[in-house]
Amino acid sequence: MVKKGQSKRQPWVKNLYSNREYPDNYTDASFLKDLRTNLHCRIYTFGEAVAGITVLNNQISCITGFLVLYQLMLSDSVSPTTILVPSCGITGIGYLCYRGRSLSWALLGEDSKTLSQWFFWLHVLTDAAHLTQAISTDTIYTMTFFVFLGNVIFGHYGLDVAMVSKAISLNAAIFGAICLASRLPTSYHAFVLLVEAAVFFVLYPIMTEANWHAGFMVPIFSICCMALYCISRPVLYLYASTTIFINFVCPFIFVWQQQYKFNIHGPWDEAIVEENTEENLDGNL
Amino acid sequence: MRICMVSDFFYPSIGGVEEHVYNLSQMLLSLGHKIVVLTHAYGDCSGIRYVTGYLKVYYLPIKVCYNQCILPTAVCNVPMLRAVLLRERVEVVHGHSAFSALAHEALMVGSLLGLKTVFTDHSLFGFADLSAALTNNLLEVNLGMVNHAICVSHIGKENTVLRARVAKNRVSVIPNAVDTALFTPDPQKRPSNDIINIVVASRLVYRKGIDLLAGIIPRFKNTPNINFIIVGDGPKRDLLEEIREKTNMQERVQMVGAVEHNKVRDFLVRGHIFLNTSLTEAYCMAIVEAASCGLQVVSTSVGGIPEVLPKSLILLAEPEIDAIYAAILIAIDRHRKSSFKVSPPVANGHLPSEANGKVKRRRRRKADTPTSPTQLPASSAPPADQNSPAEPVMCPYRCNELVETLYNWEDVALRTVKVYDRVSNERPFTTSELVFAVWQHGSWFLVFFVVAHFLMRLLELWRPRKRVELAQDVQRTAS
Repeated sequence: MVKKGQSKRQPWVKNLYSNREYPDNYTDASFLKDLRTNLHCRIYTFGEAVAGITVLNNQISCITGFLVLYQLMLSDSVSPTTILVPSCGITGIGYLCYRGRSLSWALLGEDSKTLSQWFFWLHVLTDAAHLTQAISTDTIYTMTFFVFLGNVIFGHYGLDVAMVSKAISLNAAIFGAICLASRLPTSYHAFVLLVEAAVFFVLYPIMTEANWHAGFMVPIFSICCMALYCISRPVLYLYASTTIFINFVCPFIFVWQQQYKFNIHGPWDEAIVEENTEENLDGNL
Repeated sequence: MRICMVSDFFYPSIGGVEEHVYNLSQMLLSLGHKIVVLTHAYGDCSGIRYVTGYLKVYYLPIKVCYNQCILPTAVCNVPMLRAVLLRERVEVVHGHSAFSALAHEALMVGSLLGLKTVFTDHSLFGFADLSAALTNNLLEVNLGMVNHAICVSHIGKENTVLRARVAKNRVSVIPNAVDTALFTPDPQKRPSNDIINIVVASRLVYRKGIDLLAGIIPRFKNTPNINFIIVGDGPKRDLLEEIREKTNMQERVQMVGAVEHNKVRDFLVRGHIFLNTSLTEAYCMAIVEAASCGLQVVSTSVGGIPEVLPKSLILLAEPEIDAIYAAILIAIDRHRKSSFKVSPPVANGHLPSEANGKVKRRRRRKADTPTSPTQLPASSAPPADQNSPAEPVMCPYRCNELVETLYNWEDVALRTVKVYDRVSNERPFTTSELVFAVWQHGSWFLVFFVVAHFLMRLLELWRPRKRVELAQDVQRTAS
């Protein structure tokens, strides 16, 4: 404030009560010395990004596989029983793998009770699928496209963000399956399609979430391609190009854009503390 | 000089910005300046009102949108703001708080009218998330049109310079102050037995670190002589009450709830230690008020807090439960070891409580006389060893005197007037300069700027400046 002789100027200190000899808009040499950039930034490699995106591709392939089964049943090239029996077998094997060591007779009894209840209700309600029979096929297919798109968008890929909702994702897929079921000739067809929907959208994600490896994508991709090759060429090209674009081009763009990451950190940042929630409250006491 | 303070935040709302605007205006009034405060209407508190000391407040009839802020439309309130600024013959427009949309709008209107503009930033912002990025861009545009910016701490200046890209020499650091005559110690209110009271006074929200506090309280479960007094209310109150119940500390943790600002002192003087757990803070008035009441302050070392108080008055800790707990233990240890007794000797200037009003008045008068704020009690603040419990506790009255020498509103007002003088000697911005500034900092804002500019031209034709009826000044009668 009061400028004294240039000789005896006390050194500037970073506090608010000294420095009376300095003007208020004085900027010291130590200005911004605590500035840090890109402190917690993680730079992903191309390999990591490619491996990470396979989770999304798996979901798309899962929907594709379901639609392939639908097409096979619709064109009557495969009978429903030939689909139902193998998938029941695969589900049984998957169940044994999932329970693993913890399997016991009591648990098995409990689970089979759930399963039979579920089968019973599904069988009863299959006729309801024919309620949408009056709606035109084009409308059904358009609606199916959008609900499966919703399934992909809201799916849970291992990130906890506001967008993710397992409930919306699953319900969208089941709704799509019910819509498609009304296009099939008999109730038995519809029943099998809904069982497949449960296998593809409920049980399969449980398995992949527990143990997923990027390498699994290769057999899944080839099976889907082969099946589509028999059904329709244009759809095969569409599927293959989409998968390759998502699996290789998108990670490339992501990795390339990382050079623009510029994050500023400093003493003004809010300290991060663990918030007390209902769950961890007792543990913290 | 004729100054217009603009902020969305003013009495009857309560908070740091409100207090700053009010105290600064009062002090500038007593220095002989003409002050007008502009804010939006609070419920039926609308129109023009005079508050203490003939401070004229315009409560403009603008609807509140979110968090006591008006809807940031940039151009809708231009005619009203122009009318007020012209009517009051304002020379300097002084906006407060980056959150206040009204302040930003008034600053734009002020610079379009060719007035001088000053902006005080009261808060710190991060850079990491989307909302911060948007707010920072808006602030950058607005500060491009401002003559001078004021920050309340050096950290605040670094933050403002970074996020608004203003030139360093256009930013001054002027801290807040505390009315030390209001926040006087009164050790007789402290419990006479061996109990030590820890006081917490803040809104109970996440940003104030209530989750840290919830981790600290259970640590004193088995130390019977430590009590807590928690002043304030907010969404995290349930959490604290749950903690209190689960640890069986109902008698020892007193939850007072929200308290008016002038009643806070009554709770502060009952404590020995003041605990502040904020996660970010530009200045933190609460710790200065507590120190002024003679409490030992334990605080997290975040934002501008390390700059605020000398080491002899504060114990700093990292924002972690263990570190804060350790710091509180040191503070308790100092209390237990210190020879300072609850009833201070008369020589310390203590008067019995019935004469307390007299003390206050005497101190206030002392504050009114122009004191030279340049002297620092260098001898009284030796470089204290932070973590040694042997460091004696300072006498509460000594604390109060020390804080008074560090911060007072008169000093703040004089330094602010210096800024006003500086900007009034500057040349006002021409329209092309303003357009260029907006173009540089965020061209999207040009849409609003152009609309505002032509609106001003239209108003100049419709309600010419020379035909605006000027407001009468109320003469202050000598008291």
